[in-house]
Amino acid sequence: MVEIEKKGTPAVLLVSGRFEHDAIASARAFGMPGVRYVVVPWLYRNLDRERAVQQTEAAFETLVGELTAEVEAPVANAKLQPTQVERFEGSNYADAFQVMNREFLNRDWGDGFPLLPATQDAVEKMLKGTCLPPDHVVCDLPPGYGLATVEKIAINSVMAGASPEHMPLIIGALKAVSQMDPDRVKGFLMSTSSHASMLLVNGPIAKELDINSKGACMGPGRQNRANLVVGRAYTLCLKNIGYWYPGEMDMDTIGSVRKFSVCIAENEDASPWEPFHVEQGYKAGDSVVTVMATKGEVDVADQGNNTAEGLLKTIAYNSIFSQWDLVRPGRTAKGSAMETIVLVPPDIARPAGEAGFTKKGAKEFIHMHAQFSLGKMVHYYPLQPETIPAHWRWLLKLSEKELHDIWMPVRESADRYRLICVGADRAKPIIIPSMPVRPESVNVDQYRAR
Amino acid sequence: MEILEVLDPVAQQRGVLDARAVNKRPSTLEGKKVGLLWSGTANGDVALRSIEGMLKQHTPSVETNFYLGGLPAPTAVLEKATDESDVVIGATAD
Repeated sequence: MVEIEKKGTPAVLLVSGRFEHDAIASARAFGMPGVRYVVVPWLYRNLDRERAVQQTEAAFETLVGELTAEVEAPVANAKLQPTQVERFEGSNYADAFQVMNREFLNRDWGDGFPLLPATQDAVEKMLKGTCLPPDHVVCDLPPGYGLATVEKIAINSVMAGASPEHMPLIIGALKAVSQMDPDRVKGFLMSTSSHASMLLVNGPIAKELDINSKGACMGPGRQNRANLVVGRAYTLCLKNIGYWYPGEMDMDTIGSVRKFSVCIAENEDASPWEPFHVEQGYKAGDSVVTVMATKGEVDVADQGNNTAEGLLKTIAYNSIFSQWDLVRPGRTAKGSAMETIVLVPPDIARPAGEAGFTKKGAKEFIHMHAQFSLGKMVHYYPLQPETIPAHWRWLLKLSEKELHDIWMPVRESADRYRLICVGADRAKPIIIPSMPVRPESVNVDQYRAR
Repeated sequence: MEILEVLDPVAQQRGVLDARAVNKRPSTLEGKKVGLLWSGTANGDVALRSIEGMLKQHTPSVETNFYLGGLPAPTAVLEKATDESDVVIGATAD
């Protein structure tokens, strides 16, 4: 509705259920805090028709009122303020630390775990990790479009436990997410699905900073110290700079532990294929961070195949879960096709490479073998004559059985698969459904301290 | 007594720094063109069609147009809706 108002036409939005806070936060983020809306009690999507109509009728008079009411005077724009200092008192340092944490977590400025104090001294040290000046605005960070100054990034990085040498990666990751398609990134970060970011590090900086690419590189442990703090710093920035607060702009239904911190490096030494950042157009010697969208994961165990075909089929047959993009109303829109990320351990990548599979060839093989029943794929998104694209309308004439008997690839094309060599030896890939937002990569060498 | 001084991690938002007011409303919907913009999500159309029916019942001179947008609505649809409407009602369904 903000976009409609910006084009000069008065608008009002019917907001359902728990989305009132989101409507307020979104209106502020998108530059029109006074945007008009009317709230009905229940989410429409899974209501029966009678209740949907009933709650709409009850809101009708208010809705007409919002369309015809006088508007208040134009808003006075806020001014850019210098960073404030917060003071916390305690009987000793540990007590003050606890008071600070209690208050910050109450304001939802953290991730639930203890935050390190971003003192002036600690932030100044963090700022030495990059060549950029503190007041440089790296980006307007989605979804709330806060001004990501280097100083604010440094403050959140201190709170996360990161070190100055991590700054180029953290800055790069934030720049990358800000470069995602502006429409798609809203769906990524503001959805009712458990979408989360995964940071992928490529190039020399991965080894320099000890970003783990091998055994158990996702999850807790001393082997992942750098992975964890970089990912955590990114997440805190997304919250406190991007306003990615649950219940306001992050409307997740259940949530996911993937939202804490997921940062890995590609195991380039063990891969027979070109690394991911080279696929993205960078040189092998560039240090690059990529932000990828994830919406779940499944750990797949191959228990005995030892040929390239056998191992890749195991990936393909396990790639059919989650959502599909067939027949969705937005499918014909720009870049609307879903993606699948496959974390391929060396014990699959190596034999596939030795058997002559290029990365492109492996993707095509997986694509051709990852097929599923069309009837089952479209079930989650019931077919509606009003929204189905013209070239899929023939489906409306088929019975449920006929629909179930048609098998099709679960992704639009082979390039919707992203293969990344990760992990220790053992043919246990992780398959991660993504969404219609392309991975964005940034060369972080430009942010290194001189 | 120990005092811990830390820096505020929260950034200001571009939308707050560059905020704009909403547009002036018509005093009545008599004779107005009302755009109904559906995101394509289930039951959003039910809500908007219900509004359409009530509008025509209460204000027969109202003209309505229904638009299928998407999440988000394509620019072309937004432009068509704003070009053809005096006011627009949207529903996201969730």
